[in-house]
Amino acid sequence: MGHYVSKFTSLFAWGNREVRILILGLDGAGKTTILYRLQIGDVVSTIPTIGFNVETVVYKNIKFQVWDLGGQTSIRPYWRCYYANTDAVIYVVDSCDRDRIGTSRDELASMLEEEELKEASLLVFANKQDMKGAMSSAEVSEALGLPRLKSRQWAIYKTSALKGEGLDEGLDWLVGSIQ
Amino acid sequence: MMNAALQTNFARLQIMKRKVLAALRKGENYELKTELNSEYKERRKEAVRRVIANMTVGKDVSGLFTDVLKNMHTDDLEIKKLIYLYLINYAKTQPDLVILAVNTFVKDAEDTNPLIRALAIRTMGCLHVQEVLDHLSDPLRKCLKDPSPYVRKTAVMCVAKVYDLSPTTAEENGFVEDVRRALSDSNPMVISNAVTVLTEINEMAPGQNVWRLDAKSVPTLLAAVNECVEWGQIAILEALADYTPKTEKEAESICERLLPRLQHANGSVVLTTVRLLLNYEKYVHRADLLSQFTKKMVPPLITLLSSEPEIQYVALRNINIILQRHPKLLSKEIRVFFCKYNDPIYVKYEKLDVLVRICSERNTEPLLNELKEYAREVDVDFVRRAIQAIGRLAIRYESSADKAVKVLVELLQLKVNSVVQDVVVVLRDVFRRYPRNFADVVPTLCEHIDYVNEPDAKAALIWILGEYSEHISNISNLLGTCIESFLEEEDEGVQLALVNSAVKFFLKRPQQGQALVLKALQTATEKCANPDVRDRAYIYWRLLSADPNAARTVALVEMPPVELESANLSAPLLEELVAELGSVASVLQKPSRLFVYKKADKAGVPRDSEMAYTGLDDAEGGAASAGDNGTTGGIDTSNEGEPELLISF
Repeated sequence: MGHYVSKFTSLFAWGNREVRILILGLDGAGKTTILYRLQIGDVVSTIPTIGFNVETVVYKNIKFQVWDLGGQTSIRPYWRCYYANTDAVIYVVDSCDRDRIGTSRDELASMLEEEELKEASLLVFANKQDMKGAMSSAEVSEALGLPRLKSRQWAIYKTSALKGEGLDEGLDWLVGSIQ
Repeated sequence: MMNAALQTNFARLQIMKRKVLAALRKGENYELKTELNSEYKERRKEAVRRVIANMTVGKDVSGLFTDVLKNMHTDDLEIKKLIYLYLINYAKTQPDLVILAVNTFVKDAEDTNPLIRALAIRTMGCLHVQEVLDHLSDPLRKCLKDPSPYVRKTAVMCVAKVYDLSPTTAEENGFVEDVRRALSDSNPMVISNAVTVLTEINEMAPGQNVWRLDAKSVPTLLAAVNECVEWGQIAILEALADYTPKTEKEAESICERLLPRLQHANGSVVLTTVRLLLNYEKYVHRADLLSQFTKKMVPPLITLLSSEPEIQYVALRNINIILQRHPKLLSKEIRVFFCKYNDPIYVKYEKLDVLVRICSERNTEPLLNELKEYAREVDVDFVRRAIQAIGRLAIRYESSADKAVKVLVELLQLKVNSVVQDVVVVLRDVFRRYPRNFADVVPTLCEHIDYVNEPDAKAALIWILGEYSEHISNISNLLGTCIESFLEEEDEGVQLALVNSAVKFFLKRPQQGQALVLKALQTATEKCANPDVRDRAYIYWRLLSADPNAARTVALVEMPPVELESANLSAPLLEELVAELGSVASVLQKPSRLFVYKKADKAGVPRDSEMAYTGLDDAEGGAASAGDNGTTGGIDTSNEGEPELLISF
């Protein structure tokens, strides 16, 4: 019975509203692959995203409007155009790219300073765990400076977009954090 | 649980209320911005509609660029089209941000729906932004080989846009070569678009000869022309018209294949076909074929005259040029060109011009009757042209002169002020053409002397008085009154005519004219302020006092009969205009190089300025030879070197 009631209230509360989620991260981190993994449950071949992709993903009866923004240096300045009304940010890190983890941290830090994202939850995907030599989630977390974040709901998950591992767990956390 | 939900809802309502209030404070664009980012699909859709509505009425909504852009990723075709429209409009103001749209374009160019593929590729080309160009190449290459002809034809057009932005990109990616290959496409629309694009590229890169129609492609074009839409037909016909056939046989077969195009409902197709046939006259030598071609041109040209006045005007301007090539082409169709009472005035003028052109000796009679009717209409300018047309007919055909003069005299007797002026001027020309034939008309003319008050008409009348003084009983009175008012005349022409006529009268009848001529010369030499008039009077005076016989040979000399001023364009100009028949050039009767500018060229400098000036001389020659009747169809030479109409691409 309780189950039905909760289902009913969630419908009532959200209606046709779409939950806005941004997928951000450096180029080549696997953002587009994650987006389509979430949407159609399969791996699609991708090209570098010049601009953005946006798809509607229904997960646990909630409609997510998921924005995947291009991560190339030239496009990063335009991320801010998409910040308004965002409920959560999925930040994707290439766990094998130790050289650029610093850049990734800086981009994340400057993003989190934005006024418009003050309320947004942060979900970090330490992606490409299927590859050899990938950093652990603790390493990534430390490198990004996540433990030092204040007044922010955040979580980090080990994922492999290619194998589809860790994504659902991450989304489960997200659903919980925004309701 | 329920309670909590209600509470959150209440809180949300509060937030919305605050947002709306804030929006009201910050104006419509701020409100639209919020709506465009709304979490509800319907509201975003409505917002996009409103943005486009604002854009079309001219409000600046460029500030919403990224917010609109965010909505372009949608399955809703309507919204997609609207947003594409927005992009085309504002891409140039936000070249940096356009790049955010690239991913969506690239994806749309691979959509399963050919309409969306074509839409994406078309819009990408229309953006005309260098930044997008690099990302356009891959999708464009794919679309050029798309299975759907609709996408292919759109992609072909896109190549022209790429070439315009960056010729090297178009060449390096092999797009131009792809378009050349598209000439042998299976679909006629693709072929016609390829022709259009190659023609345009040729124009964009003058002298580089990017493309030349070769004999190999001609058969495919001929096959395609029957099947593609009218504008495609025009493109193909134009390309063929500029083509030089290799053999006479080829020229003949091209013409024969294209004859059915003359029956097309689109006037432009018809005129372009006529242009092709006229251009090919130099390649075809069989007389029977040539006469068959010209015969076939007549009915479609006549049909054009039953369409809207604007089309009629264009047709008439073109017919005017065609007639200079084939003067006898329409002489059997003269009635078609009779003016209807409700024709717009610009159509009437053109018809009048064509009527005079096509009139042959046999049908002057009905035309003169018709012109007489025109001369009774209210429009002064039209009446003048009609009267001038009567004069032209009289001068051209001796057999019709009697009838024409009769008509003119009838018009004179209407005693309408403006009509009298024009008739007098025209009669003078007719009298000069047939010096001995119409002396009996002069007395009637003199009865209307009081109506003559415009300088031109006065000068003409005074000339007639001097010339025909022996046929006028009260000539001394008439000339005397005129000389009385010598100083009141402000026009030099009238004064000169007075001096001349007084001298002539004196030489013809020394007794009666002595007092008169003395008075005239005295007034002219002593009181007239105009040096030319004074000089003329002095010369006559000396001549008369030195040797009256010598004066006789000077003043009473038989003048050469007037010739009809040629209303024809100069031969090279005509040649050029025939080659551009059916275009704006033939309507303006000015070759296109005088008014078509390339964007890159400096403003005000034609493509080939040297050529332009010689061309202008031609045009001026044409206008000057037509005198002030203005029958050459309004070539405006008042602004030398700076044509008034600029068309830039």
